[in-house]
Amino acid sequence: MEVLEARNLSVSLVGVDVLRHISFTLRRGRVLGLVGESGAGKSMLGRVIARDLPTAFKVRSGALTFQGHDLVTIAGEKHRELLGDSIAFIPQEPLTALNPVLTIGQQFDEHLGRLGVPQADRRTRMITALGNVLLHDPVTLLDRYSFQISGGMCQRVLIAMAFASEPALIVADEPTTALDVSTQAHIVQIMRKMQRDHGTALLFITHDLRLAAHVCDDILVLYAGDIVERGPARTLTAMARHPYTLALQAANPPLDGPAHRLATLPEQMPGIGAFTTLPGCRFAPRCPVADEECGRAVPPLREIAPHHFVRCSGACLTQGAKASAPEPLPVATTTPGVPVLVLKDVAKHYPGERDWLGRRRPGTDAVKAINLTVRAGEFVGIVGESGSGKSTVAKLIMGLEPITAGRIAIDGNDVSVNDSAARQVRLGTLQMVFQDPQSALNPRRPVGRLITQSLEAARSTASEADRVMRARALLAETGLSADLLQRFPSQLSGGQKQRVNIARALCVTPRLLVADEIVSGLDVSVQAQILNLLLDLRRDRGIGLVFISHDLSVVRYLCSRVLVMQHGAVVEQGDAEAVLGRPQHPYTQSLIAAVPPEDPDRPWPCNSP
Amino acid sequence: MRPQTRVALHRCITTPRVVAGLMLVAAIVTVAVLAHWIAPHDPQEQDLLNILLPPSWSAAGVPDYPFGTDSLGRCVLSRVLFGARVALYVACLAATGAMLLGTLLALVAGYFGGWVDWIISRIVDIWMAFPPVILALILLVGLGTGVNKVILAIVLIDWTRFCRVIRSDVMVIRRKDYVAAARLAGFSHGQTILKEVLPAVVPLLITLFSLEMGIAVIVEAIMSFVGMSVEPNVAAWGVMIADARQFMNQSPWGVIIPVFAIFITVLAFNLTGDGLRRALDPRLMTSRGDV
Repeated sequence: MEVLEARNLSVSLVGVDVLRHISFTLRRGRVLGLVGESGAGKSMLGRVIARDLPTAFKVRSGALTFQGHDLVTIAGEKHRELLGDSIAFIPQEPLTALNPVLTIGQQFDEHLGRLGVPQADRRTRMITALGNVLLHDPVTLLDRYSFQISGGMCQRVLIAMAFASEPALIVADEPTTALDVSTQAHIVQIMRKMQRDHGTALLFITHDLRLAAHVCDDILVLYAGDIVERGPARTLTAMARHPYTLALQAANPPLDGPAHRLATLPEQMPGIGAFTTLPGCRFAPRCPVADEECGRAVPPLREIAPHHFVRCSGACLTQGAKASAPEPLPVATTTPGVPVLVLKDVAKHYPGERDWLGRRRPGTDAVKAINLTVRAGEFVGIVGESGSGKSTVAKLIMGLEPITAGRIAIDGNDVSVNDSAARQVRLGTLQMVFQDPQSALNPRRPVGRLITQSLEAARSTASEADRVMRARALLAETGLSADLLQRFPSQLSGGQKQRVNIARALCVTPRLLVADEIVSGLDVSVQAQILNLLLDLRRDRGIGLVFISHDLSVVRYLCSRVLVMQHGAVVEQGDAEAVLGRPQHPYTQSLIAAVPPEDPDRPWPCNSP
Repeated sequence: MRPQTRVALHRCITTPRVVAGLMLVAAIVTVAVLAHWIAPHDPQEQDLLNILLPPSWSAAGVPDYPFGTDSLGRCVLSRVLFGARVALYVACLAATGAMLLGTLLALVAGYFGGWVDWIISRIVDIWMAFPPVILALILLVGLGTGVNKVILAIVLIDWTRFCRVIRSDVMVIRRKDYVAAARLAGFSHGQTILKEVLPAVVPLLITLFSLEMGIAVIVEAIMSFVGMSVEPNVAAWGVMIADARQFMNQSPWGVIIPVFAIFITVLAFNLTGDGLRRALDPRLMTSRGDV
């Protein structure tokens, strides 16, 4: 039975189609994955279902049928009824989706009341529902607030609420993006279990093709509002044909097998404003095998194998789209001698607040006695989940927070006490690339003045002409065009911002970069570009790197050594291949097991939550 | 100019409140500057034959005195025009002073935090607990009277308004990674504050400054009403009200006209300030999706 069917659905913004001729069917008990990078229009579909399109966006043509009702034209009253009872949503940000001033119980109760559950039955219904999503102790949970429980628990509560009305369709928009890898595995497992038990149809929106391959029965790959490839999950991942799908797969570094340099696409997905300049295939400008024909007319969605559709002109398909042989990964060369950075038993303790009698409450050990040595040209990874203390390590190295025990040495100079001498030592040697470019780039500075900021510092003697020259050199080195000099951060794309962020850190020619989750906010194809940029910097400048990330495959791709942190302590460290290939510590093993494997036939998630 | 600044400026000049407020302010400034030439009489010139004349539009009015005369036969229009000078002089200097003092302390408190912040915040708390007019009177008793003392008193009282609001904004900006990045780029604390933190609070400063000017006009009027501000031989709106108060039953216009002048001036500053707040508020801007 078809639960949701789209026929030629087009959504437009002032005459420009941001979703073009989308057609698919989603049957009862099936999972349909909508995969695409930011700007692909994947969230737009959920918003059409919820009738929550941003202003000026209109459904231009086509139909979106839910159990015989056209969701586009149906009366508002009827639509609201459907939303409550038959269609449910699981949001991206579980913490912001729950009201912090109401307890979980109050919110669930309100939801059940809206569904018409009698007051007397609600409590038992809630407890059963929360038990079904494998939450321990549902009774106490009812009296808690969203901020008192973890993001993963919030998401489970929201899943329980979504399934409470036994809906026919659930729309999950990036339900695990804001969560840690191991939490992601649990959430996916619970969602699939609930979906199978109830025979619900699930529309799973994600940017992660690997994850979709494991969660979904069918996958749609979206690019700039077009379906570029569609098919059963197994077939599509194993035999992807569209150059964009192939590029997405190639951009994601593997967690096992031979390492080679990631093949990257140039630039990034065009914005809505650029759609009018692309009359043909919207992927053509970035396509490695596009010819002139591609730019002229939109290729049709062709069935190349049973149920496997690809929107590409014949030329690409016959050529097979695999253009170049993989380049080998450059080998790291570390120079012997005095290491650039040495951490010896470094710890950070945050004292507790004083209570009203002036007694201190017990504090927290954010970092417990960690040891780390980084030589010039060496890439060291620190992995761990949120709260493991890995970002605190970055702050301690940079001197943004004082250490409470241990010793830090840079080039053999002791900088444990953050005085002005230590500051001078750090200034010339270390630089940091911040996690969130939104917060790390002053919105009031144009790019040229941002990246050469350090030349403005008191002791600098650089003239204005020097600055412009330096800015141009840095832009060229980080792969940015010189006409960005006068732009402001708000006018840049996510990938460009992160390059600017790196360029600024390079201005003082540091020998070691500390990078805190610098690719986690980026799309995979842009992430691959940034990773390769870091490798190029090592080749050209012999720069070292402390790379902090939650993504094991990225760390394996970049780093020769890795430290695994849990609750502020290093639980395992060593050669990256050894640690990630043959993990010894149970925590490392669980982290690795939580990553969706590349091979869609390998069962995942395999551990029970 | 960065696009946000252009958007913000565009929003300012298309906000009716800002346009109306700025036009009124411009009119008042023009009148004050040109008072010497457009006033029909010298503000101190007495015409004892024509005392307490009503405005020229009433039956007993005289065209020579458009707004009538006061109890000493001085031209009310001329005195109102010259009074605008005092009002604007106090508004500009007092608001500037309060802004400088308040912002300086706010930057220090919000940026450094810790005990510095604790001390400054407690001083603000204590300061704000005093009723402002009483505090002004006490200060003026201590400082002596005079228009410059009034300005000093307003600065000493109203810096807390700036300090409290700006400090909370500074604390938000302080936690941005770009402030840490500036330090890592070798900026001293002073440079970081001036180049990274201060520019971010400028929109808020402009708004507060405009509202403070309105407040300063009222405080000056109160102080000149009780005779603690300008010299007796200077025309100020508060002085005019005080003089006309005794003859209010015979000639209400002598009170109504300066009150109306104060009303228009304060309205102009408040309209501007309120409009700017709406046009520049970052929270409103984000919700409109164009930050």
